[in-house]
Amino acid sequence: MSDGFGRACLACCLTAASFHLTGCSQIGLGRGAAEQRGEILFDRHCADCHDESNLDLKKQPPKLKGLFRSKLLPSGSPATDEQVRNTIINGRGTMPAFDQRLREQDVDDLVTYLHTLR
Amino acid sequence: MCLFLAALTAAVLAFTSACVAKPRQYSLKGQVMDISMTGELIVKHDDIPGFMPAMTMPYKPRDPGVSQQVRPGDLIAANLMVAKNGNYWLEDVRITDQSGRTAARSAVVTHTLRVGERAPDLPLINQDGKTIHLSDFRGKALLITFIYTRCPMPAFCPRLSSQFAKIHEHLAKTPADCDKTHLLTISFDPKYDTAPVLRRYGLAYLDNDASGFSHWDFASTNAADLRKLAEAFGLTYIEEDNQISHSMDIVLLTPDGLVAQYWPTAWTATELEEALRQEARSASVATAKAAGMKR
Repeated sequence: MSDGFGRACLACCLTAASFHLTGCSQIGLGRGAAEQRGEILFDRHCADCHDESNLDLKKQPPKLKGLFRSKLLPSGSPATDEQVRNTIINGRGTMPAFDQRLREQDVDDLVTYLHTLR
Repeated sequence: MCLFLAALTAAVLAFTSACVAKPRQYSLKGQVMDISMTGELIVKHDDIPGFMPAMTMPYKPRDPGVSQQVRPGDLIAANLMVAKNGNYWLEDVRITDQSGRTAARSAVVTHTLRVGERAPDLPLINQDGKTIHLSDFRGKALLITFIYTRCPMPAFCPRLSSQFAKIHEHLAKTPADCDKTHLLTISFDPKYDTAPVLRRYGLAYLDNDASGFSHWDFASTNAADLRKLAEAFGLTYIEEDNQISHSMDIVLLTPDGLVAQYWPTAWTATELEEALRQEARSASVATAKAAGMKR
């Protein structure tokens, strides 16, 4: 592969990344504080599993886009705030519990943010 | 034109696969707290943007000579490399400040059992609430690892348990080896990881088949005995804000309860499984020979 091709790919990636960032910041202008806090918490605690593919794990964590658009969660439970809160706090299957590591407000903010994933 | 498009597609695919195979690189800055017997640097590091928050963790330098040059207390900068399979190591380790060499507090143990030494027989509580000892597994090759169930980082405890699940599933298919081996997962978090929590965690990795516990125990112990186990096996663990930074050691014991082998960070499930099978088989051969000599 030539350096030129690599540079071209890099330029494409940078353009795409800057477009993505610009888009995010524009969307972010109108967002509530809870949603923004939820996004930060999601990036810190959830994205490593739920935004990645082909992890070296027994079960692949589900993607969470459109979580609340379906009637059921990936586990088959009803897609309610209460059920999602319970899953975050107590874990489910191979998903670890976040009990005592997230405050109630953090869990509320995460649920608020999860509602926005489409 | 078609040829050009095909070539371009091939080039894009080659570039993409090269990117996928390449380990991810992160910038790490921190203070060396200690150096383990196996040459890992125990580093108290700053936030690693995009990978993990600030914590204290063991890191193996790719260049083994680094462990000879670095001293506890040194401030270092390095590139943290993370492979797709979860293995990680340090490259390009630079000492940025040596003035704190005497200020660092020792974070690791002073005595680690060497290969051939006997493991301590401390009491553990398993997923059924039953007290067990390492001596209960005499006659079997025993593979031990250490996790905590609330670990949220996929490259660490969840990966360890996933690999152990793979080993368990493979061994279950060969009853002769399964009978001569056992897996044991011990928690770093005895306050939270009670028997019911460990049972639920274990079942998730055993596909909800409780009969798997006859080959794979999940256990915890009290804080004092955990410290003794950590000293014996050279483990490091520090609790900060309900998150536990710990080493990812795996220990293999012989059927006589002696340390057979350690794996600090770089290992594969296949490698562990093969070592476990070999240990069980070689012990069986030795027993058969001894029985033959008696006759």
